[in-house]
Amino acid sequence: MSESASVCVLDDVAWQEVTAATMGAAAPCFQCGVCTAVCPWGLVQKEPVSIRRLIRMAQLRVDGWGEAIWLCTTCGLCEARCPRGVPVSEIILALRRLAWERRAAPKGLPTMLWAIHWDGNPWDQPPSQRQAWAKGLDLKPFAVGDDLLLYVGCTAAYDRRSQRIARSLVTLLRSAGVSFGILPDEPCCGESVRMVGQEAYLAELVEGNARRFKEAGVRTLVTVSPHCLDMFRTQYPSWDGFRPLHYTEYLAELLDGGRLSFARELPVTVTYHDPCYLGRRHGIYDPPRKLLAAIPGLTLVELPSSREDALCCGGGGGRMWLETHAGERFADLRVREAQGTGAEWLVTSCPFCILCLEDSAKVLGSEQLKVVDVTELAVRALGDGR
Amino acid sequence: MKPLGIIVCVKVVPKPEEVSVNPETRTLDRAKARSELNPPDMNAIEMALALRERYGGSVSLLSMGPPFAAPYLQVGLAMGADHAYLLSDRLFGGADTLPTSFALARGIQKIGEWDLVLCGEESSDGATGQVPAGIAEWLDCSQATYAMDLALLPDGRLRAEREIRGGHEVIAVSLPAVVSVKLGVNEPRFMDMELRRTAPAVTVWNASDLGVDPASLGFEGSPTVVGAVWQAKSPERRREFLDGTLQEKARLLAERIRALVSF
Repeated sequence: MSESASVCVLDDVAWQEVTAATMGAAAPCFQCGVCTAVCPWGLVQKEPVSIRRLIRMAQLRVDGWGEAIWLCTTCGLCEARCPRGVPVSEIILALRRLAWERRAAPKGLPTMLWAIHWDGNPWDQPPSQRQAWAKGLDLKPFAVGDDLLLYVGCTAAYDRRSQRIARSLVTLLRSAGVSFGILPDEPCCGESVRMVGQEAYLAELVEGNARRFKEAGVRTLVTVSPHCLDMFRTQYPSWDGFRPLHYTEYLAELLDGGRLSFARELPVTVTYHDPCYLGRRHGIYDPPRKLLAAIPGLTLVELPSSREDALCCGGGGGRMWLETHAGERFADLRVREAQGTGAEWLVTSCPFCILCLEDSAKVLGSEQLKVVDVTELAVRALGDGR
Repeated sequence: MKPLGIIVCVKVVPKPEEVSVNPETRTLDRAKARSELNPPDMNAIEMALALRERYGGSVSLLSMGPPFAAPYLQVGLAMGADHAYLLSDRLFGGADTLPTSFALARGIQKIGEWDLVLCGEESSDGATGQVPAGIAEWLDCSQATYAMDLALLPDGRLRAEREIRGGHEVIAVSLPAVVSVKLGVNEPRFMDMELRRTAPAVTVWNASDLGVDPASLGFEGSPTVVGAVWQAKSPERRREFLDGTLQEKARLLAERIRALVSF
């Protein structure tokens, strides 16, 4: 029988599996196609990724999603625009979970998972080097009574570029007189495990980690990465006093309380890129802007698409562990947008965004545009010779 | 074609970056080191599971080591292996490759029916590559080393594509056979959490279970004499960063290279 694109065979087993995996989340979709229209892949590929079709297939419980489910960066732009509130990312993560069962996960992802299993981080770096980022900082282990636990996360702990973000944050916290500590054997939060659809392994990780945090007496936990923040807010059980915050939120609180201030003028024009997992996922748009506004002399110009409309850098949804071909990187578009604003600095507040944007800035030869984290700018504005 | 009985010999090794050398005992100090399954053994497990998917049969894991090795064998069971056996006894301690391959060969015979033994090409801590060949000798069967791909031929022999200096070689060997698997030839599948929960317990055998003369085991059975052991120093990176435009950086870099290279 010849195959026809318009014919699909409904399979009872697949029907049951997809229903169980997605828990019927696709049902409210009425196939308007807004998701496909706004998906950033349409900006870099000839054919957009048909999210609408994927959701329809999930409704009909049919197989054959192909590699499209692995392209999604879970940026959430489609979810923000969906008139029916369909949790598109969750459906895609559920389909990824089924893909593992069918042994159809992309190459490279098992290796990333093994790195988490053996070494406790997806970067395939030795656990003995986890605190290398803090060399010379004389940090102390977290103790009950500290204002907060600084959760550095794998990327800021191991990636050399991102280590500068964590070090800057330490300087800012110290300048505000905050008492804080780190966990000597900080575990991976499991974000990459969740994003590639390994829900059962994630449950194991989260259970062990949550117990450790709770036993250590952790209450306020400040993350460097919005992705870790999302994990602690949405995937971890809550306990009495547990308060996961992104550093931009915590630093904004310090500003409000008069504990943090910027004395040194920075007469620069900057633009700000909203990380998806800070902005659309958790509505944290104002704290980073508040920090920038508190720096004397600094001018913020907004990108053409910002806040709820911000374009993804391309690094979310497990895409950090998969190759994105040259010419298909969202960050290229974002860097061009930033150049168009006339800003000298492109500021953001997520290690994944920094890595993607800086790579694109290099590839596009736009070295005049410096890609920096909010913490790095803020440290320059402290004004005590740092 | 009859199903394949496959036994994969695996070793629990210390993570290389966490071991140091004890100059007095001339051994590796692994007290503070965390362990892992020897990386090429992971490739051997993956190859075994892929062969089982293709031809049917069973995959058993076999290891010699201290009791703490058992949870690592459970990792292999969670990947999909059917059974796991651990040879564990103080009498096995301090073995070089001769008694190691001997004990493993006796373990293989005790497991019983088998057609194919797979090993990683070498261990990341010992790095001799002698154990697979040793096992084949003790079992008096055919062997192939550094295999990249395996398949059964219609006549029942095993086709092995192996890496040799400067190229690949394809050979056919009769079964039963012992094959060592090249590091990195496949991507080991990740654990299945359902299997992790339901996997059978690891069977532990001691020296008397194998019914062998203790004199042929462990330190006593090892003819190797370690003359000296020292730790190679890894070169310290200079961590210099070049400033300037791309052109300036390129010029500075070229200057550095020129100073190091004599024409």
